[in-house]
Amino acid sequence: MSAVEAVAPVRATSRPRRVVSTRFLRSELRLVFGRLRNLAVLAVLAGVPILIAVAVRLSSPDSGEGPAFLSSITDNGLFVSLAAMTVVLPLFLPLAVAVVSGDAVAGEANLGTLRYLLTVPVRRSRLLAVKYTAVVAFCFAATLVVGLVGAAIGLALFPAGPVTLLSGTTVGSAEASWRILLCALYIGACMAALGAVGMFVSTLTEYPVAAMASTAVLAVTSQVLDALPQLSAIHPYLLSHWWLAYGDLLRDPMSSTGPLHGLGSAAAYIAVFGALAWARFAGRDVSS
Amino acid sequence: MSDQLAPAHRHTRLLRWGVPAGVLVVALAVPASGRVLSASAAPSLPPRTPAQLLADLQTARVDGMSGTVVQHSDLGLPQLPGLGTSSTGSSSLTSLVSGTHTMRVWYSGPDRARLALLGTLGESDVVLNHRDLWIWSSDQKTAQHHRLPAGTKDAQKRGKHPELPTTPQAAADRALAAITPTTEVSTAANATVAGRSAYELVIAPKDPRSLVHEVRVAIDSATHVPLRFRAFATGHSAPAFEVGFTQVSFQRPGDDQFRFTPPPGTKVTEATTGTAPATTDKTPRGAQPTVVGTGWTAVVLGTAPAMPSATGSRAGGPDVGRMLASLPRVHGTWGSGRLLTSSLFSVLLTDDGRVVAGAVSPELLYAAAAK
Repeated sequence: MSAVEAVAPVRATSRPRRVVSTRFLRSELRLVFGRLRNLAVLAVLAGVPILIAVAVRLSSPDSGEGPAFLSSITDNGLFVSLAAMTVVLPLFLPLAVAVVSGDAVAGEANLGTLRYLLTVPVRRSRLLAVKYTAVVAFCFAATLVVGLVGAAIGLALFPAGPVTLLSGTTVGSAEASWRILLCALYIGACMAALGAVGMFVSTLTEYPVAAMASTAVLAVTSQVLDALPQLSAIHPYLLSHWWLAYGDLLRDPMSSTGPLHGLGSAAAYIAVFGALAWARFAGRDVSS
Repeated sequence: MSDQLAPAHRHTRLLRWGVPAGVLVVALAVPASGRVLSASAAPSLPPRTPAQLLADLQTARVDGMSGTVVQHSDLGLPQLPGLGTSSTGSSSLTSLVSGTHTMRVWYSGPDRARLALLGTLGESDVVLNHRDLWIWSSDQKTAQHHRLPAGTKDAQKRGKHPELPTTPQAAADRALAAITPTTEVSTAANATVAGRSAYELVIAPKDPRSLVHEVRVAIDSATHVPLRFRAFATGHSAPAFEVGFTQVSFQRPGDDQFRFTPPPGTKVTEATTGTAPATTDKTPRGAQPTVVGTGWTAVVLGTAPAMPSATGSRAGGPDVGRMLASLPRVHGTWGSGRLLTSSLFSVLLTDDGRVVAGAVSPELLYAAAAK
């Protein structure tokens, strides 16, 4: 966002701020992570790996059945993490991100707190940057919650044997944990891109539910379009196209092609929709 | 409405929306520029004749190489149930007939090679290490092990690097002379493939009835290894089949790449057959196929093998019966049957169990079937 802030019109009255205070960001983080609804969303996400682990414990699936990584859980509990992340990635995770990012600006506008927030002597671009940082923090928190709860419950219920990578090579638990952490961080970055889209939608309306629903619909639509082979020309540009590229991190030797494409795509989405949100929000008349 | 605004205000507003527009342009231009640069640059290389290039292909010898290969087929095949769709997600080896696929390859001499077909969250590997051939599927968690007979190894070696009685140049000249009556061999503008400068050899059939318009092979200028192969169908500007490196390195890969131990929990099947099973030839072959016609318009006539299990034995293989039933029915003076058409080849399966196939239009197949 620094590029955006550089372009922001500097008013003559605003004095240059030497030390960037984190007070505003801390209060925003408290707002996001202290809200009961957001905590409930995190709890639901944490429930997915628990559900998967218990279900597999009760009846072990045959090879090749169910979602990816499911049949490997009985060999090593760490696979609960991967299976859970794969399960929540299409819908649950985007929905959670849509709720938080869609609420970011529209929620304040709806409650009538936005205009009070704007009386605080900070630039609007800074306000937007702080809001988005909190959304990004939630994206990574949500992904890591799924991954960590999955690893914990998996190791509690299943042995920590050798982990089979997609290429058929086996690695130890330490190497596997490192790779799974990379996967979680990658998915978090992908969700941050969706968060930027949600942030922009949130600046368009005063109804948080509309912003949340639109963001969720955009995420699902992107996946539907990605599944249509006739549209293969536009696939690389779709928001969700690279989400599953974390599979490349589980190969031997590790391939970075897909994840790097994905990170590039996420960066582009964040830049474009961050700039759009700024253009909209900086020039908007806030009456509520 | 904007007319009522003060000019300065209007100016800032325009400027403000210009920022995301500018960011969008940059975001789209960055990946595109890389592609344009690599595609448009036609490297200047010392000229080589088609015969020299053919000789280069035969003398090409690398100790080892590795890279990423992207294969794309646009054969215009009907959507067949059981066969992989055009989605890039499948890592099943039978899905290769359509869509775009990414493979990683490692090569270290003729008896050590590995090919990994990348699926979204899966991978199929074919690993050759001396006499051990492994086929691994992460989706099924299965591994097939083939122990190749000692003789095959040498035969393969000979097959890959034939010990020629004459110089490669003479062999190339002879090959060129043999195919010249039916084929036009020429060179096209040099290409850049996977960041390397390459010669482009063009092989085109003279017979206009062939569905194949031309075949282009890009040959690396330094190592003479083919880097890209493209087949163009008549009447189509985009290649019907394309396989080429997107990234290549001529460093010899480490031995670890070729070591495969079935991971725990894997269903391992030991194949006892002595023949190399890696052949991906899925065409049902009859006992003794006969060939009608010559050159590019040759049509192969054979008898269909007993339908079930022959090709569907591999787990996750296509359901042959269902696939055949979805093909359109055709009939004529030669009888009746089902027809599979694509932009590069046609296959006719008659009801009396004959298979007629060729890189020609269906009419030529009917004529061959009537004989």
